[in-house]
Amino acid sequence: MTFLRRCLQILLLALPVLLFLLTLVLGRYHIRAGDVVRILLSPLFPGLAMGIPETALRLILRVRLPRALAALMIGASFGVTGTAFQGIFKNPLVDSNILGVTSGAGFGAALALLLMARPWQVQASAFVFGLLAVLLAFAGSRLYRSTPILILTLMGILIGSLFGSLTALLKYIADPLDTLPAITFWLLGSLTSVTSRSLPLLAMLTVGGAVFLWVLRWRLNVLSLGDDEATALGINPVRLKLAIIVCATLMTSIAVSVAGVIGWVGLVMPHAGRLIVGPDHKRLVPASISLGASFLLLIDTVARTLLPGEVPLGVLTGLIGVPMLIILLRRSRMGW
Amino acid sequence: MSLAAKHVCFAYLANRPVLRDVTLTVNPGEVLYVLGRNGSGKTTLLSCLAGILQPVSGQVLLNDKDVRQYSPAERARLIGLMPQVHIPAFAYTVREMVLMGRTPHLGLLGTLSRNDYAIADEALESIGLSDLHDRPYTEISGGERQLVLIARGLAQKANILLMDEPSAHLDLSNQHRVLEIVDQLTHQGLSFVISSHAPNNALIYAHHVLLLSHGHVLAYGTPAETLTEERLSAAYGMRAEVIYGQSLDSPMPRAVLPRRPLTLSPESLNNPGSELNQIFEQSQHSPQLLLITGLTGAGKTSWCTRMAQVARSQGLRVKGVLSPSVFEGESKVAIDLLSLETDEKCRLAVQRNDRGAELATVLWQFDPAVMAWGNDILGNLRDSDLVILDELGPLEFLRGQGLVEGLKLIDEKRYRVACVVIRSSLLPDALERWPHAQVVNGYSRV
Repeated sequence: MTFLRRCLQILLLALPVLLFLLTLVLGRYHIRAGDVVRILLSPLFPGLAMGIPETALRLILRVRLPRALAALMIGASFGVTGTAFQGIFKNPLVDSNILGVTSGAGFGAALALLLMARPWQVQASAFVFGLLAVLLAFAGSRLYRSTPILILTLMGILIGSLFGSLTALLKYIADPLDTLPAITFWLLGSLTSVTSRSLPLLAMLTVGGAVFLWVLRWRLNVLSLGDDEATALGINPVRLKLAIIVCATLMTSIAVSVAGVIGWVGLVMPHAGRLIVGPDHKRLVPASISLGASFLLLIDTVARTLLPGEVPLGVLTGLIGVPMLIILLRRSRMGW
Repeated sequence: MSLAAKHVCFAYLANRPVLRDVTLTVNPGEVLYVLGRNGSGKTTLLSCLAGILQPVSGQVLLNDKDVRQYSPAERARLIGLMPQVHIPAFAYTVREMVLMGRTPHLGLLGTLSRNDYAIADEALESIGLSDLHDRPYTEISGGERQLVLIARGLAQKANILLMDEPSAHLDLSNQHRVLEIVDQLTHQGLSFVISSHAPNNALIYAHHVLLLSHGHVLAYGTPAETLTEERLSAAYGMRAEVIYGQSLDSPMPRAVLPRRPLTLSPESLNNPGSELNQIFEQSQHSPQLLLITGLTGAGKTSWCTRMAQVARSQGLRVKGVLSPSVFEGESKVAIDLLSLETDEKCRLAVQRNDRGAELATVLWQFDPAVMAWGNDILGNLRDSDLVILDELGPLEFLRGQGLVEGLKLIDEKRYRVACVVIRSSLLPDALERWPHAQVVNGYSRV
């Protein structure tokens, strides 16, 4: 049992690394695996890149590498925030979008696209509106005195619907030949527009947030028992939950602003993780980071290699995620 | 290690107090049972003791320091709370659940040490649950879950454990398995505060009992002092019977049973030796109160009318009021008030409007003059052998209106034998008020 578990853990750690190398090799422009490794190491050892065509060098370092890194981080971000939210809301059917981040970000991006903004402006607008949506949900929940987290969830759903309607309005008035396809494509999620300039902020928030949630991994167990029990076990649940919500919101906003709306990763990966390592967040947090990263990387690789044109990511995660969830829910040990 | 509550008051809503002036002390190695009806404030009291809720006034003292002044982790190292068993959303293993007891001992980075695992395993071992170790907490039995929570309390290394209804949902053997372990732990110096719906367990396991009623302390002391028939009747709003057994030299309470309503036929007053006859005999020494109850239409008023007739035929002085209904076809259209002393009859209430039948609650228009007349009769009742009061309802009990002189008459015990008609939904309120009363089924056909 322990041996098997140890093997699984090593496999989980190795999976994103293996997929990462694989995805750099795959693509319409063929580059051999050995060359890929040499190119990757070339910034450290400039001699290694000798004799490799300039096109391959650029393709790997400027296109495939940033995109793969972004897919890893965004997938990890969705996976770990989904796990954290399922834990603190004691509900295995939520993810970090429950507070309206995605709808807000979608509206922000649509607005920027409608105003013919540059790509970085679209990202910035998506990020800001994602945060704004959650802030509004917070402000709304302050109107009520009781059970802050429950009201917050309700407000999140309401604010999410509000931004959903506003986005629909923008689509309605958008130019059907030019702007509307851009908005639609953005809303379906894609990593096409990722460049190395998108990476630093994404990396900072994602890695920082993931470390924060990793530190809290044991406390997530206790929080999932409910407020009273958590308090009795020596934790301040309200403060801790707010910290987790702020952290997850920042992580999700930046991820959505880079990649657009990609559903299901945050919902499905925690379930997959629970099936493999069990519900203990001590193991589930790292597992969902690894699984989320691997899953999105795999999906993105499929999206850009399977068909001549790119398949939107949100479509693929849905097509694969929903059947996966159905199977996982059947196999998982839940009371219902 | 001691825990004390001093004049604790608590309210979730400003004008709805849940706890009123609760004072108690828990000493090391002691089991304190908190008993009371649903909604009497037991769980709220435990939450206040655990420092989860802040009392509106008063204090909870843990080692002579206000429990709210400890940090959550400090507090959790001294006091553990076992909420009512619920099934968590995720299927943690038994060992993981017990390990959660180590949370207040963790450092900032929150990682479990080898020592934490050892303590958790030791706690499981000491409760005899080592075999369950890797089983999902969601799949073990209710009794085992309760024991796991105790093991978690032990791993927490708290000396005071608060348990919310540990015997709920457990079969007889599991209840006693859990409570025997509690008892053994008290010998190691642990103390327990247990909220419960099982007075019989309190008789067996408690050192002290606190009887809560509407948030205030009805009684507090040893089980034998606290769990008397009258106090149990008042606390639970039902007639209780305490069975005593001989222990050394004094009789000790052994069991608490519900006492069912008596079924008495008014005509049995004529039979010497019948229960009803005995009640009238006893009324020479102490006033006897009978609460006539039953569902609507059971015949409570008819029972009283027959009672009055039989008593009169024996030459007893019967006083008080009856309120017979006036029917028009199937529907009740009015209520009369009849003085048993003079046989005068007045219309006490009519239905407020003819749409009444369509409304969910029938609205009655009371005649204030007739109500005053009724109060006048009841306020000046003297020299009676039997008082009949039909009926005291929500108007009197919940709003303090209507035949308030009737309430006063019973409160002040100005009767020898009184038959008071009470609808069954108000019986608990009546028994809280008059715990010495006997309950009688008011069937018109016996």
